[in-house]
Amino acid sequence: MSISAELPPRPVPRPSLFAGLGAFGRALGATSAGRFIAIALLIAVLAFLSVYPLSMLLYGSLHSTPPGVAGEFNLDGYADVFTWQSFVTLANTVGISLAKTIPSLMLAILLAWILARTDTPMRGTLEVLVTLPFFIPPILTAMAWGMLGNPQVGLINQVYQWITGSTAPLINVYSYGGVVWHMMQYSVPFLFLLIVDAFRAMDPGLEEAARMCGASRWRTFRTVTLQLMMPALTGAAILSFVRGIENFESPLFFGSPAGIRVITTDIYDSINQRSPPQYQYATAISFVILVLLLLVVLAQWRMLKGRSFTTVTGKGYSPAVMKLGKWRWFTFALCMLFFVVTVVLPVGQLLIGSFFQFFGFYQWDMLTLDHYRAVFSSGEFWRGFRNTMLLGLVGATLTMLLGGIVAYVSVRTRWRGRMLIDGMAWLPWMMPGIVLGVGFLWGFALLPHAIPIYGTLWALLLAYISLGTPLSVRVMTSAYAQLSYDLEECSRVHGANWLQTMWRIMIALAWPAFAVGWVLLFFGIMRELSASVLLYSVGSEVLSVVLMKLWANGNAEQVSVIGMIMMVMVLVIRWIQLRLIKTRIGAL
Amino acid sequence: MLKSLGRIAALLGLIAAAAPASAQDASWQQVVDAAKKEGKVVVYNMALGAPYFTAVLKSFEAKYGISVESLDLRASELSERIRTEQAAGRYLGDLEIVTTTMIEEQLANGDYVQKLPQIPNAANLRPPFRATEHSIPAYVQSMGILINTRMVKDEDVPTSWADLNNPKWTGKILSDDMRPLGSGNTMFALLQHTMGAEFNEKLAAQKPVFSRDMRNDARRVARGEYPIYIPQVFAFASDLKGLPVKVVIPKEGAPFAEMDFALLKNAPHPNAARLFIQHFLEADSQLLYANAWMSPVVNGVAERANADAQPFAKAKLIGPAKLAERPAMMSLAKKLYP
Repeated sequence: MSISAELPPRPVPRPSLFAGLGAFGRALGATSAGRFIAIALLIAVLAFLSVYPLSMLLYGSLHSTPPGVAGEFNLDGYADVFTWQSFVTLANTVGISLAKTIPSLMLAILLAWILARTDTPMRGTLEVLVTLPFFIPPILTAMAWGMLGNPQVGLINQVYQWITGSTAPLINVYSYGGVVWHMMQYSVPFLFLLIVDAFRAMDPGLEEAARMCGASRWRTFRTVTLQLMMPALTGAAILSFVRGIENFESPLFFGSPAGIRVITTDIYDSINQRSPPQYQYATAISFVILVLLLLVVLAQWRMLKGRSFTTVTGKGYSPAVMKLGKWRWFTFALCMLFFVVTVVLPVGQLLIGSFFQFFGFYQWDMLTLDHYRAVFSSGEFWRGFRNTMLLGLVGATLTMLLGGIVAYVSVRTRWRGRMLIDGMAWLPWMMPGIVLGVGFLWGFALLPHAIPIYGTLWALLLAYISLGTPLSVRVMTSAYAQLSYDLEECSRVHGANWLQTMWRIMIALAWPAFAVGWVLLFFGIMRELSASVLLYSVGSEVLSVVLMKLWANGNAEQVSVIGMIMMVMVLVIRWIQLRLIKTRIGAL
Repeated sequence: MLKSLGRIAALLGLIAAAAPASAQDASWQQVVDAAKKEGKVVVYNMALGAPYFTAVLKSFEAKYGISVESLDLRASELSERIRTEQAAGRYLGDLEIVTTTMIEEQLANGDYVQKLPQIPNAANLRPPFRATEHSIPAYVQSMGILINTRMVKDEDVPTSWADLNNPKWTGKILSDDMRPLGSGNTMFALLQHTMGAEFNEKLAAQKPVFSRDMRNDARRVARGEYPIYIPQVFAFASDLKGLPVKVVIPKEGAPFAEMDFALLKNAPHPNAARLFIQHFLEADSQLLYANAWMSPVVNGVAERANADAQPFAKAKLIGPAKLAERPAMMSLAKKLYP
């Protein structure tokens, strides 16, 4: 495999479409008017997708009633936020998120290094397997871990007690540890997916140089490898940290029974379980979080400012893997251990459970295929599946394209206003999903009736693009940050037009990141519920709403069947993705 | 002669009695015709695709040829969606089926629902259920105690809510969280009245473990994590046949949450909505609910329910919860369960 970007010695023939689009692209980028139009267009798109729904929420936080209801402007919502109780809850939330982000990042780095930079056996298969937990609906893994790790009759505790003769349980998932552990199920594969390609795309020559200068393996890893990964690592860590702050399912299922309160369960209560719903408090506390998280992002910008992280240059190299000798079986065992603990145990429960009448009751007379029959014969499931596939394919693709453009302008140009669009693209990620969903509802419903968005698939599509853009921008920013500027310049010097340069350099070399981002977004859309449930209408049901309805009606086993279908889709899509990346990179 | 006069008087009486009935029939037939002309009805509900609800929808479509668009949402999402749509001038829904207190709240905050037209089947509502100017009962979710039959000996099976406060159950009761809105708080509020303040204080001393996932909680009890779960919505246990669990109806009765119909403001299909309510209150529709272990709201249905469903369909009821008392009950629950 080679990532050298060897350019054609002479200008390549220009098909007319390429030439036309190339000229358009050049015109946009080369003239100040063109740049102004391009930036204005991006600002307009991002303003509609992220600033508009957020402005609705800002109104909600400053007004005694939601939009459309008579009331008055006041700061009561913010006054309720600045209380000792809220401070304790916020500190708790930050603590839990840090407690899961730091070990998750370390584990993800270890896995990424093993699978991208060493000769560990079966790396391709392991790479697909260790990411599986990310794609399962959290409600299912919560149920599975509840069965495995409850202190009374949890399988793990029963095995432990049987072996040791102890009467005390080994683990209790209904605790801080349980909340953190359940969150890690998602953050480790999420972080892994975001950083593994940065590891792959690194020129080992830089590490070799450090080694030749006498640095130890550890020092090389710390001062060269990790430093070069900084944009990818910090970007991914912040995404994961923010997600930890906004995580809802883990604290709800495992924290509530132990009296653990976090911001999201507080927001959920204030909207869903207060009479009347306290939208002013919910939106106010969400804006406080948004400001705090923006400060974290600014800190990252400041930290990375003025430093170069390019590892993919015009100079050819072969990203050779490190020979581990007999230790490669140790690294293999580590990956397998992770796979067994995070995938085999919970997913195995779900898989087995889906063949029985009830989860956790494994009697021969309860074996059945009824749940599979019920799902496959359900018109609602297929309608939701079709809508979700359509929204997933179109939504993930458009979001990645938008993210790619924003990231390109932000990282590869010196255009005025680039920081603004980068900041705007971050915004939806900072707002807890439960609240943001309400922002979309308010925003789309209050649009003039002549704009046919509310109550259609368009509403869902636009919400998904908005929700996914921060991720797509981060993924593409990390990828572009590793590409040397001389590649673009070299391409242009050799006569390639703007579009050809984009296609053969910026897209071709960032393709693995694009593919990873696409997969994360596609399955993110499949799982998204907060906005979906408020925006769907009869005929535009999506899979997450179907899952919610099944769960609410006690059909956990059918939810599991759908979870298994999603697993199969992940396996197929990841396999195709990895094959494509290999082919693509090999062809370059 | 007198006999003949008597016959004539009786005949005239019958004609006089039948005349308004036929007039009523004719006017109802006009509603049916207008409903068919409207062609569909949009129902906002919290049933989330429950099979008995879907069965009623299908029977309505089959009987009248009017399609039903069912938008399933959770309580807060449903009320916010209706509020936002109406604020934006989008009148898309015809009917809502929500809790009595939600309708009271809507009436207190604006004109989201309109006065109900006359529904013939309202005359068949059984006490304590009654229609109001803006709402009419649709179905009732009653709650009891769920026990694990392998963990609770026959002699220990609670027969009264007070039995939960037996020291042997300290730390062994799994409960829906009683502090926020929901079934847990409804039970808390209603038992505060029925059983007295001391009951809730003693129950708090039992240190019940709170959870927020009612559907999974019943299975946790079945798996043996806890011997007891409160409050168990009867209907949610009707599909757990085969598991080692049993629903107990305490002798004091079952707290309940009442789901009512309300006609949304500017409903685009008012006649179809009216017809749908009428259909929902037919004995056959209510029987579908009774067989799913819910209390029917009309007369003559509980007796027709399946044998296993009859105790639940006929259960003595405690309630309903009152909107005015809600803040006090929520703050009391928070005080007892800090």
